Amino acid sequence: LLRRPGSASKDVVTGRLKNPFVKVEDRSRRYRPFYLQFHIFPALNYCVPKPCSPFEMEKKLPSAPKQRFVASINKPNSDKDCGTPLHLPQKDKKRRGYCECCGKKYEDLHTHLESEQHQTFAHSTEYRVVDEIISKFVYQFVEYKDDANKPKRTKCST
Amino acid sequence: TAGMKKDIERLYEAVPQLVNVFKIKEKIGEGTFSSVYLATAQLQTGYEEKMALKHLIPTSHPLRIAAELQCLTVAGGQDNVMGVKYCFRKNDHVVIVMPYLEHESFLDILNSLSFEEVREYMFNLFKALRRIHHFGIVHRDVKPSNFLYNRQLKEYALVDFGLAQGTPDTKIELLKTAHSEDQQGSCLQNNPTTPLGNGVSVNVTVPKQIAQQSASKPADKKVISHSKIQMKEGREGKEGSVHHSVQRSVFGERNFNVYSSTYQQNSSTKVIKHSKMIDVSSRKLLTKKKIIATKTLSNGTARKAASGFSLNLICDCYATDKVCSVCLSRCQQVAPRAGTPGFRAPEVLTKCPTQTTAIDMWSAGIIFLSLLSGRYPFYKASDDLTALAQIMTVRGSRETIQAAKTFGKSVLCTQVVAAQNLRTLCEKLRGTNSSCKRSQDEVPSKSVSDSTSPAAVDKSCAPETLGKQIQHLKSFQEGDGALEMKAADMKGWDQVPDEAYDLLDKLLDLNPATRITAKEALQHPFFKDMRP
Repeated sequence: LLRRPGSASKDVVTGRLKNPFVKVEDRSRRYRPFYLQFHIFPALNYCVPKPCSPFEMEKKLPSAPKQRFVASINKPNSDKDCGTPLHLPQKDKKRRGYCECCGKKYEDLHTHLESEQHQTFAHSTEYRVVDEIISKFVYQFVEYKDDANKPKRTKCST
Repeated sequence: TAGMKKDIERLYEAVPQLVNVFKIKEKIGEGTFSSVYLATAQLQTGYEEKMALKHLIPTSHPLRIAAELQCLTVAGGQDNVMGVKYCFRKNDHVVIVMPYLEHESFLDILNSLSFEEVREYMFNLFKALRRIHHFGIVHRDVKPSNFLYNRQLKEYALVDFGLAQGTPDTKIELLKTAHSEDQQGSCLQNNPTTPLGNGVSVNVTVPKQIAQQSASKPADKKVISHSKIQMKEGREGKEGSVHHSVQRSVFGERNFNVYSSTYQQNSSTKVIKHSKMIDVSSRKLLTKKKIIATKTLSNGTARKAASGFSLNLICDCYATDKVCSVCLSRCQQVAPRAGTPGFRAPEVLTKCPTQTTAIDMWSAGIIFLSLLSGRYPFYKASDDLTALAQIMTVRGSRETIQAAKTFGKSVLCTQVVAAQNLRTLCEKLRGTNSSCKRSQDEVPSKSVSDSTSPAAVDKSCAPETLGKQIQHLKSFQEGDGALEMKAADMKGWDQVPDEAYDLLDKLLDLNPATRITAKEALQHPFFKDMRP
């Protein structure tokens, strides 16, 4: 359902949310509202056996209605896919994410870690802040001898 | 498994210092940002001890790693907060060594815990929270899997500060950052495609020129041109996947700014820090942009954002069932939301920029709700607004809307749902109320229990009385025929005192400002005979 209200400016396009929905907006009105329209509003279900959530969908009927988003809620980066794909036992080789060190996304964790940019960071002095904390720890371990003799003390060389 | 063996091998390779020090036995946990291994080490004291080795994902920023270590060293090691034994690093690979606490699976023991064990569990959780909150740490991810519990030893440990943030007055040096005085919205593209209801989406296209001009034009004259309407199949939305529930906090913005959304700027000039936010599969980074001064317009602030634009235009949609190209073209508010969906407080779900240690208390309330109701996870939602709707069905829609106002949020909900009585709710879900059929593992045997257990107490039973009753039950259990009785034993669940639900009510306070603190919780009558 769309309408063009004569109120604001003439090119404003308005949409109406369908019941039932929840809409949230900051009272400053400086930010984009976000909302969700439900096929069925959540309800407590006492029939699901313990220890399941009372909001557990009834044994996924094939006709079970699915909820839909109508706004790219909490997707500040709309060029992103909608959430992460449902990965089956995830191949270690297909781990995508964001590298805080390099400030960039990567499609494959392992490949990124091997990249020149990341390796440069990995060998940089940026980790001093970590080493400083490490230097305050007391090393209390004894090395296991490779050939299972009695343990010998190690020199603390970090 | 072969996979695990390979992981262990790789860890030894990445951090060779581990080789002769640890016998790594197995992988005992895997999260988005770390893997945890069980290992043994020979200590100089002569004992061989079990250790937990936490291998952080090498993409973690050194400052984040250091902050986590600092939380462990400063706050950890007592009051049920996990401490740290040592830390190894080679390049970008960091391994944190912690004492190992063998622990139960929450789900496995949930419905076999006695009421008294639940009381002890909560008491010990509050001890840990009181401690970290005292240091100005907001944990952000309080949930059973981060609160290790050894039932036999009655030992507890709050773990994982990987998502922690500092309060404005935090005592953890590395959780401090310069306070930005304004919470940012972020517009990340020039052409946001905004699906509207009914599979209709609005394409808001604002040419750069116009966007720039708008900064110097009165906002009410602004016209969004090139608006298009497209028919579009509504997207199936999910923020984060069900499997990857953790969304990491905005890095570089780990502090909570003290901006109040109701605060009105009166000065004619305002300094705004611009930031660009990138959100990639559960990790976010905030890069500070240069400070730009913009004029405050009489009817709202027009801003240019790092990429694209931001117009603070008023439209008629506020608090109605409408959305339009004006309000949908505004920046999204950025607020921390790291954590696990079902445990997020309402102020987190509604993107309140000022979040306090109270968010951890809400999470503790959710754990308590699970313990009292025998349901875990209690809430099951893959997105924030579904989670909010589920909270409404328990705490009431009117109450939720009311509370949200106090922290600057307008919540509109078409469904009017009444607040539940917490006792009734929990007893119904647990199956300990009279009007409910018992689950199979709770079939009362004969009438032994009925004749010997104390009569149901008056609703207004004092904790003292309760204490006595528990004692009575205990001594009764230890008497002859204890085995026979045990099957019939309700483990205290037939006499949950009002204090339990009163505390639950105060933990699940929808208003973070009045929500009970950890310190106050320890003083609550529910724990009357326990020593903090």
